[in-house]
Amino acid sequence: MATEKEILDALADYQVQCNNNKRLRRMQRDWSKLLHFVAEDTGDVFTMNVVKGEIISNEAGAKGTPDIIVTTHSESLCDMFWGDLNPSQKYLDGEIRVKASQEDVVRLDAITMIIWPDV
Amino acid sequence: MKEDLKNIKEKVLADFATYISPMKVRTMKSAALDIVEEKRDGASVWDITGKKYIDCQTGSGIMNVGRHNREIVEALKKALDTYDIGVFLLCSKQNADLAKKLAEITPGDLKCTMFGVGGGEANDAAIKIARGFTMKTEIIYADKAYHGHTGFALSAIGRDEYKKPFEPLIPGFKMVPFGDAGAIEKIVTDDTAAVILEPIQGEGGINIPPDDYLKKVRTICDEHEVLLILDEVQTGFARTGKMFASEHWGVVPDIMTIAKSLGGGLYPISATIFTEEIMDFFIPHPFIHLSTFGGSDLGCIVGLETIKFIEKHHLADHAVEMGKLFRKGFDSLLRDYPDLLLEVRQKGLMMGLQFTNQSIGPRMSKKLSERGVIAIYTGNNPSICRLMPPLIITPKEVDIVLNALEGSMKELSQESGIGKED
Repeated sequence: MATEKEILDALADYQVQCNNNKRLRRMQRDWSKLLHFVAEDTGDVFTMNVVKGEIISNEAGAKGTPDIIVTTHSESLCDMFWGDLNPSQKYLDGEIRVKASQEDVVRLDAITMIIWPDV
Repeated sequence: MKEDLKNIKEKVLADFATYISPMKVRTMKSAALDIVEEKRDGASVWDITGKKYIDCQTGSGIMNVGRHNREIVEALKKALDTYDIGVFLLCSKQNADLAKKLAEITPGDLKCTMFGVGGGEANDAAIKIARGFTMKTEIIYADKAYHGHTGFALSAIGRDEYKKPFEPLIPGFKMVPFGDAGAIEKIVTDDTAAVILEPIQGEGGINIPPDDYLKKVRTICDEHEVLLILDEVQTGFARTGKMFASEHWGVVPDIMTIAKSLGGGLYPISATIFTEEIMDFFIPHPFIHLSTFGGSDLGCIVGLETIKFIEKHHLADHAVEMGKLFRKGFDSLLRDYPDLLLEVRQKGLMMGLQFTNQSIGPRMSKKLSERGVIAIYTGNNPSICRLMPPLIITPKEVDIVLNALEGSMKELSQESGIGKED
């Protein structure tokens, strides 16, 4: 089980990785979404705000009306944001559940592919 | 027997007129081009009645490797023993093999391929990619340009007749004169996504731009962060004496489109080739542009064999050599028939004879057909006779074509309606 702080730390690192990746920023520049990440074992919820490909904020709590809801185990959330697991694989295994359009699901996987091409 | 064949031909033409296009049959008949192709071999084609022609039209450059090329026919036959067209949603070895080869033979950092079926589709894809990648909308194209009859490509054609009945077309397209880089500089804006050009205009009348044109356009595109799309559908695959015409001027586009001769005259296939940087547009959108039959496994096998044939037989060099033989003959014609022939525009075996007036192109087509040569005036300019024979044409066949031109022009020079129009 991962704590709220551990997940926020992982999110903060993910934010830096994404925002500092010029290629990713260019690729995602037409993508603005509000995301909720739900840790199903702890009940914690985290909100990520992406504006034109830039992660503007990460915070604890369910803020606003999300475009995308990602639900999984707290450990998987951490692993995902640290780049230690392939979210696409876990999604197809049913361990990660995503409520979003198929295009947004592909976008999320594309982000991982660009930041961690070996995952 | 001969009568039987004539009857069969008449029946074919009647059915064609009834079920496909009465006006096409009428037009072709009046120009002595009501040829119903039967046997095809090398640079020649035989009408269903047995009359032989040298094909200098070749579907505007589909047959660079010759008609019914036996080496490629055998490769296709062999492929049919195992493969079908394949399922476009799956990954294919044949796709990967051809895309890798295209990355090798195209200039500069062109690397990634999207397959299609025809040239228009390839240009549609190129324009979509340019808009998607740059997130800008304007497309600059040239007067007399020809990029195909499909949606985006049609909007970039420089001929109103093809476009008017279908308006409103896709907005954001701006036309400039071909060959004038300054005109592009004047109208490029912060919202310009791409400039699309043919290195040499085919349908527009074999228009060869000034030597510094493409380089200047490349510089303008770089300065304004605009993509350069070069349409090598007619000029590609050794037609002009280089594998791609843009190589004559050392210009590398961001996106190149190819089609026609990639299919070896046997299987329709086209490709839109672009840089790795542009590929990034497709990473979040891997299924945003699909083609059911584009890049079929059989088409890719044919495409690869076609490229191998062009390389193995050094067709680019051969095009240069045969082009020189043609040029010698053209120079004589220019000297002997100044009232008929104004200018010859030529790069390798992409050749255009500029006549003194618009009626001469169609009349020459007719006279050439009567002498066993198929050569048709260009769609955007009937005063130009386009000659694009198969690149495997022999010196003897070049002589036959030149003799037919000489005979036709001699006859025409004795008729009325020649000379420059007022």
